[in-house]
Amino acid sequence: MGSLLGDWPSFDPHNFSQLRPSDPSNPSKMTPVTYHPTHDRTLPPPNQVISSEAKNILLRHFYQRAEEKLRPKRSASENLAPEHGCKHPRASASDTMPT
Amino acid sequence: MFRSHNVAARIFERQICTPAPGTSIHCARRFYENLVPSCTIYDVECPDHSFRKFTDDGRYLISFSRNHQDLIVYRPTWLSFSCKDENCHDLPLKAKRFESFFTQLYCVPLASSSEVICKDFFLYIESNQFGLFATSTAQIHDAPAVGGAIQGVPSIEKITFHLLRLEDGVILDERVFRNDYVNLAHSMGVFLYDDLLAILSLRYQTIHILQIRDSGNLVDVRAIGAFCREDDELFINSNMHVPMNHVGNGLQHNEPFSDISFLSGIKQRLLSFIFRAIWNEETDETLRIQCLKKKFYYHFQDYVDLIIWKVQFLDRHHLLIKFGSVDGGISRNADHLPAFFAVYNMETTEVIAFFSQNSAELYFLFEQFCDHFHATSKHSLYMNFISSHSNNIHAFEQLRFNKNKASSSSQFVKKMLVSLPFSCQSQSPSPYFDQSLFRFDEKLISATDRHRQSTDHPIKFILRRQPYSLKFKIKPGPENGSTDGRTKKISSFLFHPVLPLALSVQQTLFLQPSVVNIHFRK
Repeated sequence: MGSLLGDWPSFDPHNFSQLRPSDPSNPSKMTPVTYHPTHDRTLPPPNQVISSEAKNILLRHFYQRAEEKLRPKRSASENLAPEHGCKHPRASASDTMPT
Repeated sequence: MFRSHNVAARIFERQICTPAPGTSIHCARRFYENLVPSCTIYDVECPDHSFRKFTDDGRYLISFSRNHQDLIVYRPTWLSFSCKDENCHDLPLKAKRFESFFTQLYCVPLASSSEVICKDFFLYIESNQFGLFATSTAQIHDAPAVGGAIQGVPSIEKITFHLLRLEDGVILDERVFRNDYVNLAHSMGVFLYDDLLAILSLRYQTIHILQIRDSGNLVDVRAIGAFCREDDELFINSNMHVPMNHVGNGLQHNEPFSDISFLSGIKQRLLSFIFRAIWNEETDETLRIQCLKKKFYYHFQDYVDLIIWKVQFLDRHHLLIKFGSVDGGISRNADHLPAFFAVYNMETTEVIAFFSQNSAELYFLFEQFCDHFHATSKHSLYMNFISSHSNNIHAFEQLRFNKNKASSSSQFVKKMLVSLPFSCQSQSPSPYFDQSLFRFDEKLISATDRHRQSTDHPIKFILRRQPYSLKFKIKPGPENGSTDGRTKKISSFLFHPVLPLALSVQQTLFLQPSVVNIHFRK
């Protein structure tokens, strides 16, 4: 038969009997499914370079915290009262030196 | 992964089963459960040296002569013997020697007559097989605080760092510090990361960054302390040529430059970070000023008086610096004194974080990312496998247990953060200390190389996994226990990083010769 699977042993002799190999003289009429994007919103920018972050995760945490601490907060009118509960956890009580 | 405990079955299984992704080293390590140093040669006759440690690649055993002047390096080998008797289960007497396991490579005098080698100090540069040693003259307490030195720190007339090529014992380079003080005990004042060395001069409050080149030269990179950038000193000197005139009650004084109290560069960076952080907390002007008064200006002098206690690298550009008060710089027990941590970027000369010693936030980062505090360079990949509470569930459970047991959360956080900044190369990479493989009493023995109180009972290593059996015991001291039960004995353990070989050294405190046992797999 010239099946791709040849005479390999199989549990049931009828298994794979319907399978026909791809014959170079008789090319298959099935084309594989391909995806064509309908928009270009998700194209990467042409000069994009992907590289790994030089800073490890610990340093990223430090920098993130520094950014939060040193970024000027929004004006007082948008904050009702100093709500310490909604702020990021910060050792504000223990940052001061013990008296 | 392995279904059986039998080593032959495991080898067959290894041939056909692929370990789960990323666990090939963990699976290979499990063979250490089968090959254990269960045989002990007690009180082996060996040269009377103080054995320091195996290098982290297992190539050398570093030891110093008793008079702390010479360095002796051995190559660990394995014993081989032939036996003519038919019944050869026991080791023949001629094999039970120190020389069966160790071949002396060379003996190099490092210290001159007035100096001694600091036997607690040794750093290994694995990429080039270089070793860094330190010799020093005697300490002078109550040294006067002259020339920019701070009060309260002793002075050592000459500290020399020697860089040696361990293959042949050739001294490649030296760096001398005069009338200075560097904390050499357990390499606490020096941190090695890759090819960068950070040496903290406590007396002059300067962090010297040096690079170890492949050629063996020690090259100055920068000195952080009084100045942060390399050209700060030039800038200040070129602009301060005019002596200041202090006018007070009609008198004029010409003060010399050294009395003008500019705060040191790193102190300025630290204070400005603290100021800006407090400034940004409040948006309302009056509240802001109140906050500043309470949190910053009230403690201003305390912040100014802080000194650098200890330094480590977090990566090639970032340092973790511990600040504290003058009283605690060199004392062992400074836990009751206030301390702070700062993260400093050497390239941008910015402080990016500041924490107090009981900061819950810093503890959170320490708990989650402990391994990142042990700055691992690309040459020391074995560091990734040293058990810590960030990479090992058993160590993490122990930490959680201690945390829940602690009466005060703030005290617990403070106690855990005392170990920061870490000292480098203080933990043995031996798989026998891997918490996933073995369970052992951490008070009696652990990966950290410190002297411990010695007991007469052997230290048991029990399997973590099925069948939870006792695999081997390490007993320091003579086989039958010492006759003198009352003298205090201390033990130290040297585990080879790769071979099933360990040395235990038991010493009494009266300079008697130490008892050395060799533990190996027969």
